[in-house]
Amino acid sequence: MYDNLGAQSGVPRPPNSAQPNPFGNAFYGASSGFIRGGLGAYGEKILGSSSEYVQSNISRYFSDPQYYFQVNDHYVKNKLKVVLFPFLHRGHWTRITEPVGGRLSYKPPIYDINAPDLYIPFMAFGTYVVLAGLSLGLHGKFSPEALNWLFVKGVVGWTFQVALLKMTLFSLGSGEAPLLDIVAYAGYTFTGLSFAILGKLFWGYAYYFLLPWTCLCMGIFLVKTMKRVLFAEVRSYDSSRHHYLLLFIALAQFPLLIWLGNITLNWLV
Amino acid sequence: MAKEFNVPPVVFPSGGNPVTPASGPQQRRLPTAPFQPPRSSNPGLPFLSFDVNSAAASTSFSAAPQFPSTIGGGGGSANFDDEPPLLEELGINTKQIYQKTLSILNPFRINHYLHEDADLSGPFLFLMAFGLFQLLAGKLHFGIILGWVTMASMFLYVVFNMLAGKNGNLDMYKCLSLIGYCMLPIVMLSALSLFLPQGGMAIMVITGVFVIWSTRVCTGLVVELANCGDEHRGLIAYACFLIYMLFSLLVIF
Repeated sequence: MYDNLGAQSGVPRPPNSAQPNPFGNAFYGASSGFIRGGLGAYGEKILGSSSEYVQSNISRYFSDPQYYFQVNDHYVKNKLKVVLFPFLHRGHWTRITEPVGGRLSYKPPIYDINAPDLYIPFMAFGTYVVLAGLSLGLHGKFSPEALNWLFVKGVVGWTFQVALLKMTLFSLGSGEAPLLDIVAYAGYTFTGLSFAILGKLFWGYAYYFLLPWTCLCMGIFLVKTMKRVLFAEVRSYDSSRHHYLLLFIALAQFPLLIWLGNITLNWLV
Repeated sequence: MAKEFNVPPVVFPSGGNPVTPASGPQQRRLPTAPFQPPRSSNPGLPFLSFDVNSAAASTSFSAAPQFPSTIGGGGGSANFDDEPPLLEELGINTKQIYQKTLSILNPFRINHYLHEDADLSGPFLFLMAFGLFQLLAGKLHFGIILGWVTMASMFLYVVFNMLAGKNGNLDMYKCLSLIGYCMLPIVMLSALSLFLPQGGMAIMVITGVFVIWSTRVCTGLVVELANCGDEHRGLIAYACFLIYMLFSLLVIF
């Protein structure tokens, strides 16, 4: 039942001229859903216009989102364990590849614990917004407009995290990982953050322990993930720059999560 | 010699008819009702007379005089007695709404056959009632409720269809209808919250119970009504839980 459900396109390689059309795989058997219709139309617009080079790059940047939602309960539980306690993850961090139709592609999340998914980030983001609203309400400062601003703050934080990871990839010479992968990795911060806010709701001082813990865990998780992504992507290996940039990612988690976790009506602090 | 024009006769209010050349028989029926339309009307132009009993409507509206309620006629529209009743024409089936509401009240047995044809009038009623109870509590939330319901149903639509894969067939209308119907416990919560102290423990516990009730009913209905929901029951339940938790925040704070 799960075979050929649109495995993600492309273990990354330098683009060569004779690329098979990646949109053929991505939109195979599109259902009547509006999303897929919309994406199909978008894909057709791109297909109808320009060259194969552009097509291959678009598919590289914005791969089929359905891949990221092939999850089940077992995967979700174990992935949460990996994100929240990354140092307990025995085993490797690389993603499993499989040959699909002559090209190597990554296995979907149900088969591979290291694959990114988009279900957990979206749910974690929703949990963050709801819990933050609850926290505001318990301090008497709730209003629906405040919740809207919380949503915006979350989106800004997520975008900032994506930009951080993307900048790291660019500065090391290639930014070729699919955008949705990076979005997924960035979205995992909201899981730890939600737990920290939940702790704050129960006992105020738990926050001062949970938040640094979350920052540390998120730092470790991102460093290990980006190391694998970089090994797959980057052609030249410049050791010290790699390590400084990975350290920077880990250290940048601290101000970002402190800002996101500070739930008051002052949106810039 | 004056040129002869084929001009239809013009009637001035003060005087009589001017001398008309023979331009064909013009049948003009004078209005007999109290209100007299101005006589300068050119019979070639259709003049709408709104007299109830007038037999002198202009010639182009043949069906008009006998049916005072249809002004101008939709040319060939049905007789007034043949029109369907208003609620049926609008598609509001009150009996079905009542039955669906009763089925939501039992959280343990989920009857999904009733919900197979979706409608939006029941949810609209519930959302208005929700807004009304919030108004009684002093909060003007009508627009916020409608906007959030739209956002929430788009969220559930995206999540469900992505999880279900190629075979997911939850469409937006059905999604909105289900979320709206399962809002009933939240509406009851907002009614209850008028009588309980705000921020107290009682309202928190009751909120928890009602949100779980909503979640259970919504998940059950979504999983039954759309394909391929079974193996993702827990994942969908969490999405529904988030949605109803959001609305309960509006109620308790």
